[in-house]
Amino acid sequence: MANAWKIARKGNAQLPLVIVIALAVVLVLLGKAQGGLFDRARGHVTDLLAPVLEKVRAPVASFDRWMGSVTEIFSVYEQNLKLKEENARLRQWRNVAIVLQGRVGRYQQLLHAVPDPGMNAVLAKVIGRANRPFLQTMILDAGRENHALPGQAVIDPRGMIGRIYLTGNRTSWVILLTDLNSRIPVTISPGNVQAILAGDNSPMPSLDMVSHTVTLHAGDQVTSSGDGGLLPAGLPVGTLVSDSHGGFRVALLSDPAASQDVEILNFSKPPETPPATAQLPVEAAGLKPEAPPPPASAVTPAPAPAEPKPGQANPGQPNLGQPKPPLATPKPQTAATAPPGESADLDR
Amino acid sequence: MASLERTGTPTRLRFLVGLTPLLCGLACTFLTNIPVSLLGGLVPPPLLALVPIYFWGLIRPDLMTPVTVLGIGFAEDVLSGGPAGVSTLSFVLTYALVARYRDSFAGLAGLAAVVGFAAAATFACATAYCTVAALAFITPGAHSPALGSSISELAMTVLSYAPAVLVVSWLHHKLVGASRGDV
Repeated sequence: MANAWKIARKGNAQLPLVIVIALAVVLVLLGKAQGGLFDRARGHVTDLLAPVLEKVRAPVASFDRWMGSVTEIFSVYEQNLKLKEENARLRQWRNVAIVLQGRVGRYQQLLHAVPDPGMNAVLAKVIGRANRPFLQTMILDAGRENHALPGQAVIDPRGMIGRIYLTGNRTSWVILLTDLNSRIPVTISPGNVQAILAGDNSPMPSLDMVSHTVTLHAGDQVTSSGDGGLLPAGLPVGTLVSDSHGGFRVALLSDPAASQDVEILNFSKPPETPPATAQLPVEAAGLKPEAPPPPASAVTPAPAPAEPKPGQANPGQPNLGQPKPPLATPKPQTAATAPPGESADLDR
Repeated sequence: MASLERTGTPTRLRFLVGLTPLLCGLACTFLTNIPVSLLGGLVPPPLLALVPIYFWGLIRPDLMTPVTVLGIGFAEDVLSGGPAGVSTLSFVLTYALVARYRDSFAGLAGLAAVVGFAAAATFACATAYCTVAALAFITPGAHSPALGSSISELAMTVLSYAPAVLVVSWLHHKLVGASRGDV
């Protein structure tokens, strides 16, 4: 027993097993409390391994596709008929969508609607995938050098795949919507029902925070809601399907296992420049500001400044007993002169 | 061919030979975590690093020390991208189990040896699952992980034991040597 719990190398004492177990437990707790340490290490390691992964990817990807097609080879005929039918139906919907898009554009012009925030995207190649029991992720060949940032949405031609959670200089890790730690706000249509799409490492994520008063139906469409301002609203996510427990899950439109090229959406509302602090709403509206009230000293004599009590008065602050300066006095524009990065962060 | 350890090899080379289990474990960790799936992501990759830990933990515990296991587990955690420390803890606890019942495990041969490794792998996967479930329990709004992927990982690990242990035992006979505590 003692030998089992304290294994020592001859002439070179090693740490007892109990201490090593304690270190491992500390590592778990440290990883929970300071996950950023591990994430930075992973980012550096992935940046280093990116060239290797790209070299390994080419031959394995073709084998991967071949393996994927083996399972589908027996249903090719049925799939072909189904796809032809679906294609014809989608062509009709496309025409309808084009007409509606034009009509919405005209309505927006008539109503002077605020245009949707602009989005630009970075096309990235998938250089790796990891399907582990507690992690479902993919690695992209775009990083901070390509302006990929944590939190940005990743989509394939069919819908949303996930979002970036870790960026190196040249690589990014994507947390898939099916991952255990994935949570995104979604809208279920029709009905505009708000919910949280929560991954649990199963192929179809579940829905959290759904109000008990709403009725959902299989086939309802799930899109990103844009709540929080991090993800754009309206990204297609999936459709509702009934599960065996009487609840609903979301069948995703995207296929992370087959995606080779994906888009990283750089969605950020344009940072607004706040008005100068001296500018009143009336001035902002183009009206003439009222004349400042006469100084208080002209009406009533100002009381003698009180002796500042230790620990209470701040010499740097203006004395409240003194007459206030006119409101039109220009002040330093702290908000307007903030660094762009800070305003972007606030916006984000 | 006699192993390098038993021949009159220089001290530096013997030191490198002593590092073989660690390097082998790290190589297995790297292989496991190459994020390219040969099976289209249908099943998770096996825990290959468990094979050298089990193998040398049984026959050369002086080379596969607890600190070595800690290092391999840490590498697994960093490379896998999973919850930090989970693989480290599961590897170290599995090593402790193997060390506790070393005589029983070491006496197994043939199919029974595979069953012995399967028991150790089951313990490792169960430990990892329980740790992640405990972390999810203390995190508000987090879900417990699905059990299916852990079972798939266990199955893949056990299936890969036979080919992996052939490579590890070949390395052992060629580089390290069979006797205990010579290095």
